[in-house]
Amino acid sequence: MIALPGPPTVQLSNEYIGTLDAGGHCVLEMPSGTGKTVSLLSLIVAYQQYYPEHRKLIYCSRTMSEIEKALAELKSLMKYRADQLGRDEDFRGLGLTSRKNLCLHPSVKREKSGNVVDARCRSLTAGFMKEKKERGEDVELCIYHDNLDLLEPHNLIPPGVWTLDGMLRYGEQQKQCPYFTARRMMPFCNVIIYSYHYLLDPKIAERVSKELSKDCIVVFDEAHNIDNVCIESLSIDLTEDSLRKATRGANNLERKVTEMKSTDAKKLQNEYEKLVAGLREADKGRQEDAFMANPALPDDLLKEAVPGNIRRAEHFIAFLKRFVEYLKVQATHALRPLLSPSDSIQTRMKVLHVISETPPSFLQHLKDLTFIEKKPLRFCAERLTSLVRTLELTSIEDYQSLQEVATFATLVATYEQGFLLILEPYESETATVPNPVLHFTCLDAAIAIKPVFDRFSSVIITSGTISPLEMYPKMLGFATVVQESYTMTLARRSFLPMIVTRGSDQVAISSGFQIRNEPSVVRNYGNLVMEFSKLTPDGIVVFFPSYLYMESIISMWQGMGILDEVWKYKLILVETPDSQETSLALETYRTACCNGRGAVLLCVARGKVSEGIDFDHHYGRSVICIGVPFQYTESRILKARLEFLRENYRIRENDFLSFDAMRHAAQCLGRVLRGKDDYGIMVLADRRFQKKRTQLPKWIQQALLDSDTNLSTDMAVASAKKFLRTMAQPFHARDQEGISTWSLADLERHKEKIEEEKIRELQEARRNGARGGAVRDEFEDYEMEAVMMEIDT
Amino acid sequence: MSKATARGGVPRRPGDEDDICPVCKSSRYLNPNMRFLVNPECYHKMCESCVDRIFSQGPAPCPVAGCNRTLRKQRFRKQTFEDIQVEREVDIRKRVAKVFNRRQDEFETLDDYNDYLEEVETLTFNLLNGVDVSATESKLTEYATQNASIISRNATLEHQESANLEARQAAEREEARLRREAARKEEEDEKKAREEGRKEVLEQLVHGNKPAADVVKESKRVELLKRRRAQQSRALPALPSGTPSANSNPFTFKGLKSTAAPTPEKPYDPFGGLTDERSYYTLQDYYEHPWLDRARTDTHITAGGYTVTEYCARAMFEAFSGLGVFVGEEVAGRGDLPGGNGAGDAVAAAEAAARAEKGVS
Repeated sequence: MIALPGPPTVQLSNEYIGTLDAGGHCVLEMPSGTGKTVSLLSLIVAYQQYYPEHRKLIYCSRTMSEIEKALAELKSLMKYRADQLGRDEDFRGLGLTSRKNLCLHPSVKREKSGNVVDARCRSLTAGFMKEKKERGEDVELCIYHDNLDLLEPHNLIPPGVWTLDGMLRYGEQQKQCPYFTARRMMPFCNVIIYSYHYLLDPKIAERVSKELSKDCIVVFDEAHNIDNVCIESLSIDLTEDSLRKATRGANNLERKVTEMKSTDAKKLQNEYEKLVAGLREADKGRQEDAFMANPALPDDLLKEAVPGNIRRAEHFIAFLKRFVEYLKVQATHALRPLLSPSDSIQTRMKVLHVISETPPSFLQHLKDLTFIEKKPLRFCAERLTSLVRTLELTSIEDYQSLQEVATFATLVATYEQGFLLILEPYESETATVPNPVLHFTCLDAAIAIKPVFDRFSSVIITSGTISPLEMYPKMLGFATVVQESYTMTLARRSFLPMIVTRGSDQVAISSGFQIRNEPSVVRNYGNLVMEFSKLTPDGIVVFFPSYLYMESIISMWQGMGILDEVWKYKLILVETPDSQETSLALETYRTACCNGRGAVLLCVARGKVSEGIDFDHHYGRSVICIGVPFQYTESRILKARLEFLRENYRIRENDFLSFDAMRHAAQCLGRVLRGKDDYGIMVLADRRFQKKRTQLPKWIQQALLDSDTNLSTDMAVASAKKFLRTMAQPFHARDQEGISTWSLADLERHKEKIEEEKIRELQEARRNGARGGAVRDEFEDYEMEAVMMEIDT
Repeated sequence: MSKATARGGVPRRPGDEDDICPVCKSSRYLNPNMRFLVNPECYHKMCESCVDRIFSQGPAPCPVAGCNRTLRKQRFRKQTFEDIQVEREVDIRKRVAKVFNRRQDEFETLDDYNDYLEEVETLTFNLLNGVDVSATESKLTEYATQNASIISRNATLEHQESANLEARQAAEREEARLRREAARKEEEDEKKAREEGRKEVLEQLVHGNKPAADVVKESKRVELLKRRRAQQSRALPALPSGTPSANSNPFTFKGLKSTAAPTPEKPYDPFGGLTDERSYYTLQDYYEHPWLDRARTDTHITAGGYTVTEYCARAMFEAFSGLGVFVGEEVAGRGDLPGGNGAGDAVAAAEAAARAEKGVS
């Protein structure tokens, strides 16, 4: 029997194939943990294999573990296909991740930092090192990389699906570098699975994903945060420290140039001549360089020659130095008021002396002060790459900051709109020692993702929680062909969403700013957690809106004796901003859930836990979302972005904030339900959720009964107890058959039904057509009906 | 302790620790308000009090050993950049940029422009690093004198452009402020309307005699409809202003505008394009006429500033001034006015003019 994932998937497949054929982008919301990945993969692979063109699939996911999961799914899918078809298809599926994860070189792989691995790898694999070796110089090379050159370039690895582990093992066996194998095999793959950044971050995308053809099918999975990823990939933060490092880098570069002038002036001259001819020419053979690429440089610029005043290496270095010095001046600007002794009210200054500037005014000031024009600034990043290549530098990590500055230069000169420079005297909100930070923030998520939409004809954005769907096309600036939220078909009601608005004493609970620290609210939240820790078997996950609030509420609970009470039933573990501590806490949590009475994990709705970690089965039987996880609205960057959204996309501040809070809440809730045989309780504990429930994903909304909203703690407890009792009844896999999993016969029945439906619709339409103008009226009525229905609820 | 708190607010920056005046050796610890100044003559750093002490009496040699340049107090200023080399470079650049301010559109090809840029950069570097300073200086002055007009023209263009940019930015800021205000107002209005609606419902519940459920339902319906309408009205204007294509374009559009601006303005013409150009005759320097000779030579006449040429020009002008005016047409245009007189005049004038022309030449 084919274990087909179920009705929504079938519906999906119908619509989806349409998109692939017609070309176009779509946004899909599918409940998490219902085989979203595998159904997408199987669909696309089937489509791929059916048509002779074999359109390539690029599957992007967020974290390493998700990539690995997708690869494993693909592998089992291909095995299944081979079993069914009775033959192996000529098929290659590869995953790509950073060098740090794929390195085999005995000393390099021991490095901890990704940057160091990249730099060391480059020093062992760069083209000029090989030339040196051929000239007979004594240089160390990576044997794993060199072995690749002995193989056929289009057949570095046999066909099949290779998980990351599999790649590593194969690489060790054959003594070949898995990273470069994957990179070089990308044009010959049917499926590529990698992280968003390889496609969105212009610095990497230019390098890795350039050769992918236009007809590729691109899937962004877990894409509810895609706008933030886009923004982050184009935003740059510069601190005083990094500016100092940049100066040092520039000085190093200068020394290297003078050295080279005395030893090998010919090379510099060659570079110079190439640059006179134009950037494209100078661009050859940079495919595998680890050093940066130009960030989103328009194509016409690449064809143009580098401006004359930065063509010569020494001129360019002086140019860079001047620019860095100017940035330093800017940084001290933020501090100037602090230096004057007459001012003493620190907090006021903190608010006062944040400078925000648009790129044009920044450029104008820059020109007035240092005579740096816009045009050479635009070429900065590209010019630096070229220089670094010419100088054959091996220790690239020294130039990281300089590279950042150069990228910043290019971006600021390229984009007039959608970016903002914000200069803050303090690095973080809590810092008391001033350390100016220059944030160059991208405000428009559409800029980074635009090349993707422009280049590929079918892009699919999907996640378990991306409601409201129409927000995404708006923010990312694209038009959708299909935009659909699928609900879940379940054989039993396997999860129980509830909205708790009051404590047992009927006092409204909310994490709203005015009342969040009131003892009654804190106690009611405490009681809620306590009650649920009493009744829930195994693990409970509690999400707070912020670390700060979590800390304060925990200390207050301690004072009220609530933690002691919880302690009787469960272990208490806390997430911290430190990732190692958190992973330790998670480990302990898992152990406690596996053997013992279980544990309570207190974590933050925007932290690491809420994003990538699944609490399937007994790891999470209830999740409690304390308060609406709004963003910190006083942040300058957020304010600027809100304003931008309002001005350019007509998205109102409150709408966006509420949307953002609800997608995070939904993400938190989705953590507990990871499959059809899983069950869990979802509690939204805030008065304000009552009004926002329409913004939840459709599959949660559908399961949220009216009787489960606006509850007080004791009612919620009663309801949860009842739910857990029904869940305790035995449940067999075959109960699901025909409902949430379909056999082939079921599928055929469904197909018939759909066809009948279609015929009926057509007939209806014909009848309507005969009636003519009546259709319009009916539509109006329908609208009215919808309004009335809303009222009734 | 007190020291720590005193320094607490002041950020530690590189070079802060060795904040010692190289001339008087006083440190920031002794004088927290110490400011350093440099003179663009030699770029040696010294504190404000040293500058006051040494240069108040007039120009004096730089106190730094081995420098010996004469400095004036007037030219001391605050150091802008941390790196003194960059400070110096920027000063030199300021000078060079004043002279070499060619624009890209003055060159035939991009390559020419790039070559020019590189040439300028090399000159700047020569000045910076002290290579062939005298030759470079002479080149600089030579170029400046040769191209004075172009330089000044480009300078004004540049000035105009920056002024334009500033004006545009100010306008944009103002617009943004207005929009922000409008959005806030809209939000407030909405809130107020909601509040009022609620009040009304309460009122109705208190005084009306409809069943409570109906009242609530009715009010909800009204509110929903209102909200829907508001959303629609908000969605409509989104199209012209918020489309991404309009968003990416204005940059090129703006660029075009500012480059099109610099056509020099024509001098003001009070007659609105009317000229007294003579199209029917040419005024000669000398006309032969017996009684004009007397006027030319008689001091009684010339002493007052009377010139015969003036008289001749006027006579000629008067003689021909009627030509080219077609009274017949004008009369036809006027319609009802009797035109016989005017026409006769014009003919007579023409005849007279013809006679005069003949007689004079």
